[in-house]
Amino acid sequence: MTDPLARRLRAVVREAGIGVALLLVVAFFALFAPGFLGETNLSNILTQVTINLILATGMTFAILIGGIDLSVGAVMALCAVVGGTVMQAPFLPPWAAVCAGIAASLAVGMVAGALNGAISALWGIPSFIVTLGMLNVARGSALEVTDARSIYDFPDAFLAFGSAHLFGLPLMFLLALGLLAFGWVVLTRTVFGRMIYAIGNNEEAVRLSGHRTLRVRVAAFTITGLCVGIAAMVYVTRLSIANPILGVGFELNAIAAVIIGGTSLSGGRGSLFGTLLGAIVIGVLGNGLVLMGMSDFSRQIVTGAVIILAVVLDSYRARLSAAG
Amino acid sequence: MLELDGLTKRFPGVLALDGVSLSIAGGEMHALAGENGAGKSSLIRLLAGIHRPDAGTMRLGGAPYAPSVPLDAIRAGLRVVHQELNLLPALSVAENLLFERLPRRAGLLDRRRLDERARALLASVGLDGLDPRRRVETLGIAQCQLIEIARAVGGGETEGRVLILDEPTATLTPRESARLFELIERLRARGMTMIYVSHHLAEIFALCDRVSVLRNGRLVETRPTAQTDASGLIRAMLGRALAAQEAAAGHLRPPPDASRPPALELRGVRPRAAPSAPRQVAGERPGGIDLVLRHGEIVGIAGLVGAGRTELLRAIFGADGRAPGTMLRDGHEVRIAAPSDATRQGIGLLTEDRKREGLVLPMSAAINTSLAALRRIARAGILRPAAERAACMEQAGRLSTRLSGPGQKVVELSGGNQQKVVLAKWLLAGTRVLMLDEPTRGIDVGAKAEIHDLLDRLAASGHALLVVSSELPELMRLCDRIEVMSRGRIAGSLERAEFSEERILELAYRGFVDPRTSGAGP
Repeated sequence: MTDPLARRLRAVVREAGIGVALLLVVAFFALFAPGFLGETNLSNILTQVTINLILATGMTFAILIGGIDLSVGAVMALCAVVGGTVMQAPFLPPWAAVCAGIAASLAVGMVAGALNGAISALWGIPSFIVTLGMLNVARGSALEVTDARSIYDFPDAFLAFGSAHLFGLPLMFLLALGLLAFGWVVLTRTVFGRMIYAIGNNEEAVRLSGHRTLRVRVAAFTITGLCVGIAAMVYVTRLSIANPILGVGFELNAIAAVIIGGTSLSGGRGSLFGTLLGAIVIGVLGNGLVLMGMSDFSRQIVTGAVIILAVVLDSYRARLSAAG
Repeated sequence: MLELDGLTKRFPGVLALDGVSLSIAGGEMHALAGENGAGKSSLIRLLAGIHRPDAGTMRLGGAPYAPSVPLDAIRAGLRVVHQELNLLPALSVAENLLFERLPRRAGLLDRRRLDERARALLASVGLDGLDPRRRVETLGIAQCQLIEIARAVGGGETEGRVLILDEPTATLTPRESARLFELIERLRARGMTMIYVSHHLAEIFALCDRVSVLRNGRLVETRPTAQTDASGLIRAMLGRALAAQEAAAGHLRPPPDASRPPALELRGVRPRAAPSAPRQVAGERPGGIDLVLRHGEIVGIAGLVGAGRTELLRAIFGADGRAPGTMLRDGHEVRIAAPSDATRQGIGLLTEDRKREGLVLPMSAAINTSLAALRRIARAGILRPAAERAACMEQAGRLSTRLSGPGQKVVELSGGNQQKVVLAKWLLAGTRVLMLDEPTRGIDVGAKAEIHDLLDRLAASGHALLVVSSELPELMRLCDRIEVMSRGRIAGSLERAEFSEERILELAYRGFVDPRTSGAGP
């Protein structure tokens, strides 16, 4: 790979691979899935993608720094029930209750994320293990807080967000997009973002260059948790319900979006733009297969196969760049 | 028993072994001596089947011997006890001892037979009382060493005929060493052929029949130990031709600035224990290390591998947490508990292993260059890519680093250019006290001279440099003063006028020559 042109071509294929895959999937469903290209359906897809997109944005930070967060689904349930409970406080005017509820949800997410990051960084425990524990802690807490009951009856103003549209697009999707764009700027244009990539590649070299890598690690996981708190509120406003068993398995969809988007599971390489495409691919797959009349079970099989394919491609890509 | 003929091994950039021929008789105890990097380890790796020779042949017990994997060597009856232990800490003593030939019954592990055989093996190395079911990680290092040997001489069909011991006493106390020597005598009485590698010259004279000296990959001499002595051996290891060859070159720097307080001063700093430091007896407090480094001065730290040189640099840098003792920077006491404290004081560390600890290999030269200087490159936490690229190219120009551009990944660079990127990182960060651990290891001759010149210029412009190197000519070329470490202490200090390889080596071996006074300092 000494030829710069060949190298650039290969780099383009590497970066564009997921985009090409998305186009192929869309073209396939446009041809074979009835009603796929209808305006309502496309809007539906965006709505369905929104929560996973927000979670995957946060997950990208955890994975880029060389970790992973398996607790996002459970923490999301805890955020939702805590936020929902606060929102029903009888002594507050509705607008204040809504603000307090959202703040509580974000705070719960950030605390859980910070704990994940701090515990794994301080004691050198793989975040895989720590967040697996946090998954159970958060799920159990959510059940305790609610006594395993669901929470309904939220202020109308809050629920209105869930169905609101702006420029013909779901407002919540635009929020997710804005969050992703902000995250992209943080990752590519700030010292903090640089630290995340560098630590993901070689933490010891970064530490021995005089950086406090522990703080960066905690901050990265806190961002993951912040995104979980946001996703929880989006969930509640859309479905008008907060229950302690929501979000089961959401972490896997988020991880899948990040990996399909080309971010390396071992950290240090990838981008939020890839995550965006990855989340849309997963959303489009799910939607299109339903339109084609495929059963719930078969859809799971196909989605799983796509995830495996993406990881295989990732390892192939890693070998490509190692050779280059 | 063992015959080597014209063994040659080339690694990229170095001729590790150059036509080594040697014949070792059955039942002989043969010592290998030589400086760090003389080729001892390469020779052992060839014998053990870890590497294959580029040229030359070996014969073992009269038959051609060409191991291509370590198992071939084991099958042929040649076992190596490596310097770093190769035991599996979570498994039991018995499982470790018999790992290659676990007794089975109907496909299952036969625990009873396993323990029986293990007990017999343990008895053969004088560890009669040890429970074979104990997990290896609960044992002391000396016991592990003996277990390694028991495994190597082990019974069964693969009984060892040739045993190679690589620095077996490096981590042992004198009493533990004495026990090892007894074992060696017993093995010799059984007719075992042994090759013994050690820095401890006294051990070589006490134990071995003959000694071969390697220097720069060549076999310099082989003679009976009765016909030579310690100073003769050191002379042979050095080679006269080398001494003071480069020492006269250069050194036109102005003298260090004595008017200012030292750039760095250590008082009683105690790094983590060096691998070869004598283990502490309870209640005994070692003295720690005193050192003065002035602005414009290059101080070298010499010593054998494991003498504690890297540990000292890491202690100053706070790489393993705060080291006990006092550190002064420009005359003010500073507290350094982490690398971030050190860099804030203008202290930098160029590590021994630049790929793992110095560089973020898959990232660009620009990113690596700015890694310690992001506060300068960024404004309010926002990166300025143009400024970053400019800084990278400016440093590359200053160090004549060959880059295709600031975006080139450092993994693609040669060793010399990688090292220059690490240097650029510290220079851009405004480092005033730069510590360098083996700065020219694995770097070709041309780049090496460039780095030497650069270090000269840095000192001339007032930087204070602390250089660790295993290459004595390099230290003698660069330094104003050389501190020689031996077993975790500073054994002596030499001013430029006193530099000679013999003096340095003599100090480095102090603490090794007589086991009873080992580690007693100057």
